[in-house]
Amino acid sequence: MHPATIYSATADPHTFMTFRALVEAIIPGSPVFCVGGAVQAAGAADLCIHEYMIWELDHSLSLMLGFYLTNVPLSCSTARLLDAGAVQFAASGQMRYAPNHLLWGSSPFASLCPDDRIRVLAMLEQLNVDLGTLPPPYRDDGGFLRFMIDFLNRQTMFGNYSEWSAYGTTRLQTPTERRLESFPVSWRQVGYPGVVPGYRALRGNLLTIVRKGGESTIV
Amino acid sequence: MYDTDAMFDADVIVIGSGGGGAVAAKELGEAGLKVLVLEAGPWYGNKQWANPNNERGGEWSSDYRDLDVGIYKKMFNAYENNMNDVVSGVFRFGPADRRRTPWHRVMRQKGDIWQLSGVGGTTQHYWSQSPRAFPAAVDNIWPISYRELMPYYEKAEATLPVQFAPTTPKEELFYYGAKKAGWSLNPTLNVTTPGYRPNPNAILPTNEHLMDPNYRLEQLSDMEGCTLKGNCVNGCTAGPSVDKIAKRSTLVSYIPLALKTGNVAVRPNSFVTKILTAHDPKEGLRAVGVQFRDTWTGETGELTARTVIMAAGCIESPRLWLNSGLPYNEWVGRGLTNHCFDWVAGVFDEKDLMSIMGLPAVYPYVGHTSGARVDIPGTGIFQVSCLSPGLMSFLTYGFSEAGYDALNPPEPGAPWDIHGRVVGPQLKELMMNYSRTMSMLLLTDDETLYRNRVEVDPLLKDENGPIPVIHYTPSAKTLKKRDQLARYASETLKQAGARKIIRSDTPFGFMLHLESTMRMGYVTDTNCEAYQVGRLFIADNSVHFNGIGGPNPTLTTQALATRTAEKIVTKYFS
Repeated sequence: MHPATIYSATADPHTFMTFRALVEAIIPGSPVFCVGGAVQAAGAADLCIHEYMIWELDHSLSLMLGFYLTNVPLSCSTARLLDAGAVQFAASGQMRYAPNHLLWGSSPFASLCPDDRIRVLAMLEQLNVDLGTLPPPYRDDGGFLRFMIDFLNRQTMFGNYSEWSAYGTTRLQTPTERRLESFPVSWRQVGYPGVVPGYRALRGNLLTIVRKGGESTIV
Repeated sequence: MYDTDAMFDADVIVIGSGGGGAVAAKELGEAGLKVLVLEAGPWYGNKQWANPNNERGGEWSSDYRDLDVGIYKKMFNAYENNMNDVVSGVFRFGPADRRRTPWHRVMRQKGDIWQLSGVGGTTQHYWSQSPRAFPAAVDNIWPISYRELMPYYEKAEATLPVQFAPTTPKEELFYYGAKKAGWSLNPTLNVTTPGYRPNPNAILPTNEHLMDPNYRLEQLSDMEGCTLKGNCVNGCTAGPSVDKIAKRSTLVSYIPLALKTGNVAVRPNSFVTKILTAHDPKEGLRAVGVQFRDTWTGETGELTARTVIMAAGCIESPRLWLNSGLPYNEWVGRGLTNHCFDWVAGVFDEKDLMSIMGLPAVYPYVGHTSGARVDIPGTGIFQVSCLSPGLMSFLTYGFSEAGYDALNPPEPGAPWDIHGRVVGPQLKELMMNYSRTMSMLLLTDDETLYRNRVEVDPLLKDENGPIPVIHYTPSAKTLKKRDQLARYASETLKQAGARKIIRSDTPFGFMLHLESTMRMGYVTDTNCEAYQVGRLFIADNSVHFNGIGGPNPTLTTQALATRTAEKIVTKYFS
């Protein structure tokens, strides 16, 4: 089995499903007949950004527990946070659309339509939630909750619009082992030419500092 | 116990090799003092560490000939995720071994702390803006005058060197908008009135052959001079040798100069966990050395010196003070300022750009990351700042104090069309305009408040001791200025012809320009020596009295570190 597949297999399927639903809501796929055509079709889930987010959250924190420095993976608890948020969102009657009942049992968050998932994130961010019912480490910690909801948004965008997806089959290896296998799809989507040695784009110098004999003047 | 006749390992130990520490090391080495520098992170571009993220490598380097541009360029590959992922990037605040997690800081608010470990510190990815402080934020406020700082500014500017940024399409568009919005050109380094100017940047002048098609771009990138490749933030690689790299992080400027003195040795992968002190019969409590931990082996070591300089940054310097059990001072870690940033962007139509510049795009990926600014003493600065798409997307559309634009749109009449995060199909559509989007970073004249602080967690520890906790909430006065800057920036974008304006409302906890957590006049005297611990000096942003009015802080730290080195020589080694 490929290392990337091994890693994603270690995340439990509910966590995987919840993160896939998260990144899909933030950066969706587009119908191929939309503006921009086929190149715009891929969304964050197509680029496996949910795997990126799970990797990031599981490699972001270590603390001394007893005598040992211990890694504290955060993806599972964060998926449970989104699910707990979705349950409270539904219970408070805020859903705009009916959830997918087939998914409700495994990931309440994924069962909501994309717009409602964003509303769950907004509800959590505004702390309009019973903090005592959330899973640790978010229970009764509104500050960390707000930090995390913001992180989920910005890191999904950073992962999607950076070159990460182009690491292809090596994408979930240790960072020093990753190798680019193609030109990133998202860079093609936005018209970024990638890393180049330079641009012949000099259009002049408005001001220049001239240094002579320990003194500087501006010309 | 400390013995006044003891042999010390060095004259000076410098903790941290970033924007300030590297400067102090070079200046002291040139003065003939024996200097040891301890750096927590890796060293990129040195033969002693051929695979700095994979292997422990050597222990010390003190030889200029150890520098290796091949290793440097292999590490700095300019891919934004590889370089700037806060969790596992080449640039992060964490140990050299990228299999391990970063070093954690507790922040119970939205935000992110953009600090780096490694030789060169955060200057490895800084954008190299090197303006002086606004004189009005120093005179009659700091315990020293602006005039006192001026010769040291001159010296740091000449050493780096600092030069005004060249014009590329995005600067041309910025100047066009700024002029139409009523700002006038301000051709000065000492800013006392509002106006626009190119950024004074620590970047070598543009390669003189750049526009000559007889030179291939690959060839130019191995020559001296900037190639406008647009990757300042993702690791500059233009240059023939480590010390001639175009963007002047201290890794390529002050560190090579320090090594050239023959008096400076640097030990990366060494996290200082304690300041060692002793009671001197004549001087009272004084610093005598440090305890450190090797980040690869976990082994601890001790080194002694006649003087110690803390240059670990605005978070780690107060943390180190507190974790070392140094005397209580109510201002240690207090008074944190951060320029309370905001981010405003404009999307342009191709036909408008054609009529203004004769070009179909803004080309945000070309030129210095940030090349031009409007300075407004008393309020702050807005500077054109354009990034690669991963960084640009999150800063423009994913990072906000305001929540989601669609759920809470701007009030009617607001100068921006979008306020806060954008997600879903609208995000994809906006990102399709990436090459026609110009963005700006706003830097606010941030009020210094006692409540904004760095402290250590009473329970949580990592391998280096109790971990830092950061609290930052701007004052109403700071927020008013920030809002005014957002209006000024939006007006410049509108005058330049932007069809859609986005205000991200950046989280207050986005920490780029941390300053003033070990303030001169409260924690140190005017020589930057701690009041309560003799021979312990501070040479990073933390010793600033305030946020210097909004200008990017690195040059002021470098000027002060130059001055502090001079004071140390005069007081203890003359």
